[in-house]
Amino acid sequence: MQILQAGIEQTLTLFFGIIVFVTACIQTSAEWNKHELEDNVTKILLILMAVGCIEAIGATLGFLGHGGA
Amino acid sequence: MAAAAGTLHHEHGAEHHEMSDALYEEVRSHRLLGFTLFLISDCILFSAFIFAYLYLRNTIDHWPPPGIAGPDLLFGALNSIVLFGSGATMHYALDNWKHGNKKLFYRWLGLTLFLGAWFLCGQVYEYTLLFYEQHATWAGSIFGATFFTLTGLHGFHVFVGLIYLSILWWQTSRGTYTQRRFFGLTAGTLYWHFVDVIWVFLFFLFYIF
Repeated sequence: MQILQAGIEQTLTLFFGIIVFVTACIQTSAEWNKHELEDNVTKILLILMAVGCIEAIGATLGFLGHGGA
Repeated sequence: MAAAAGTLHHEHGAEHHEMSDALYEEVRSHRLLGFTLFLISDCILFSAFIFAYLYLRNTIDHWPPPGIAGPDLLFGALNSIVLFGSGATMHYALDNWKHGNKKLFYRWLGLTLFLGAWFLCGQVYEYTLLFYEQHATWAGSIFGATFFTLTGLHGFHVFVGLIYLSILWWQTSRGTYTQRRFFGLTAGTLYWHFVDVIWVFLFFLFYIF
């Protein structure tokens, strides 16, 4: 049961993680040529959000963390 | 005479409108600076707690302490993606408002609220597991104290964000914002992105590091 739950969690994280990562990249590129204060803050926050997606995907694949404590 | 008066009135109206636009832009820039400073002050608040956590973590030999396995990495990763996804949907909500697509704005905002609530429920589930299965308490260990304090502070920010976004929904339905004047929505989006980004650091510190 726990293996099944872990499998579902991994699959969902990978699937939605990739979608959110690509979306964050698209949104960042759309904001790239805007230079108002809120645009610059948004760019930084979107880039960090993409980094967060990499973190979560890496943790799911076992590259980061301790493979699920 | 009447026509001249009408023209004068029209010009005066246009000038007044232009001035109020200029005034709005000035007020908006001040608000934006103030809101950015608020976000920076919140960064300092989280930084203080994070440094306290790192200091305390270095005072013990084994992390997590014996008897505590720590939070579930896979569940944490899934919950993180839920929160990051809500950041993306909020961004789309603001974009749609800028383009006048109110219907899509409400859909994306609704999805943001749903994902934010999902994340909070995930946090509660995680707390329950830690409390009942691993007997981690706020006062019981350094792990419990730091984990519950930092993630609790973040969860409080998410909760406030959900209330904030709900108020924005109510305000937009009452016509508070227009397609040209929507600072509240910009601030709401920035706040929600900020909450996402804080979690990037917390996820790394508690689940990966």
